Amino acid sequence: MYRAASFGDFKCAHCHTFVSSTHQLSGVNNRNHCPYCLWSCHLDLYAAGDRLSACKAGMKPIGLTMKKGRNKYRLESRGELMLIHACIECRAMSINRIAADDDAETVIVVFQESLALFHRIHALCDQYGIIPLNAESIGIVHRQLFGQNVEISSTWRSLHKS
Amino acid sequence: MNIDNEDDIGIVFRKTLGHYTVQANGREIDCVLSSLLHKQLIYPTADPTSLHHAVQEVREINHVDPVAIGDQVRYVDAGNGSGMITEILPRRSKLSRPAPVPGQRVFEQVIVSNADLVIPVFAAAEPTPKWGLLDRYLVSAESSDLPSLIVINKLDLASKNPGLDEELEIYRRIGYPILSVSAVTGEGIEELKHALQGKLSVMVGKSGVGKTSLLNAIQPGLGLRVKAVGQGELGKGRHTTTHLEMFKLDFGGTLVDTPGVREFGLWNVTGEELAYLFPEMADYVGQCKFGLSCRHDREPDCAIRKAVMAGEISPHRYKSYLHLREEL
Repeated sequence: MYRAASFGDFKCAHCHTFVSSTHQLSGVNNRNHCPYCLWSCHLDLYAAGDRLSACKAGMKPIGLTMKKGRNKYRLESRGELMLIHACIECRAMSINRIAADDDAETVIVVFQESLALFHRIHALCDQYGIIPLNAESIGIVHRQLFGQNVEISSTWRSLHKS
Repeated sequence: MNIDNEDDIGIVFRKTLGHYTVQANGREIDCVLSSLLHKQLIYPTADPTSLHHAVQEVREINHVDPVAIGDQVRYVDAGNGSGMITEILPRRSKLSRPAPVPGQRVFEQVIVSNADLVIPVFAAAEPTPKWGLLDRYLVSAESSDLPSLIVINKLDLASKNPGLDEELEIYRRIGYPILSVSAVTGEGIEELKHALQGKLSVMVGKSGVGKTSLLNAIQPGLGLRVKAVGQGELGKGRHTTTHLEMFKLDFGGTLVDTPGVREFGLWNVTGEELAYLFPEMADYVGQCKFGLSCRHDREPDCAIRKAVMAGEISPHRYKSYLHLREEL
């Protein structure tokens, strides 16, 4: 079975938790952020996995975005939910796939925080052509994280109303 | 048979197991090591100042063959085309790598000694250049204080590798001389001849880049065996040259042709000195927050990392540095 080159297990530089890069756990071939705190590390420069960046600072999850899928017959709003990471030193930004074992509660917290600072994050993301999800996308985020058949909780509803 | 006679000094041009072809005065002499020299070299004296004669312990011996191609040797001519090497004269330089022998112990393999120029040969395409391997060759040459000349062969296939010029520009900016040639069309061969003149040069490169084809183009009379690269998707070279050999060039100078290698480790290079062997990084060593203790990886206020981010050092070369640093 083909498997992309893995850069191995690591200890998260932000929360210091051991992170396994096992494909069976994460569901992705290249583990690029911690599944617990969702922080990443600025290692890539031109393309994902090139490991050419000399910055190596932490990358904070600042919001969520949607990456359009290749299926042109799907609805425009659909695609894949992605995390937006911003480097805390050089302000470089990247989007990364959410892995299967990423903590959904932390993803929600990141989304909530991004809504509180939406205009600022939007301005930052604009330079990189990334469109962060706004409060109206709450349904999409919920569906992507928990599936179609799970009811949106009251907390989420209140967030949606606010 | 006078061993002090200058006429009895020759250069090792070729070697096979236990036999060394020494060239002197236009003659080729098939030599073996004298028993005394063999003893001295294979089992050297542990402490020359000690009154008690004790040889070095086997576990301290770290070379696979004490005689290398390019060595100047004093020999005794037996008169029938054979002889005996009695002394190896001090080496001016040597290009070494860890011998690819299985097991835990690492031995030194001197590829060539007394060289004046290292020529890493890469193909413009088929096989595609591995820049990490080029960095290894360059670091190895720097550690031996030898100048390098980067040769890009198969210029006629350059259109298949659009990013080639961009990559070569990195090395040009550092100050490495680069020569683009084609053994097929003959382009650049005259410039290469000029660069080789009067020097003992060694060509290194992975299998299939055209080292022997270049040698044939430089000196057509040699008629050395060459093969086309594999036709598969990978386009890897097929091992054709199987031994090291030195060739005297008609226009002056000597050239060592080496078999293609896919692995090239660094010998006698420590992690601390590695950054010095990247000429563009050498100026920044010692300027980091942690001074000479900095590994230039994740340390804060690292001058080399800052230089990479400022665009003064290529990120590709920095990545090569980190790869090599991990090995040491």
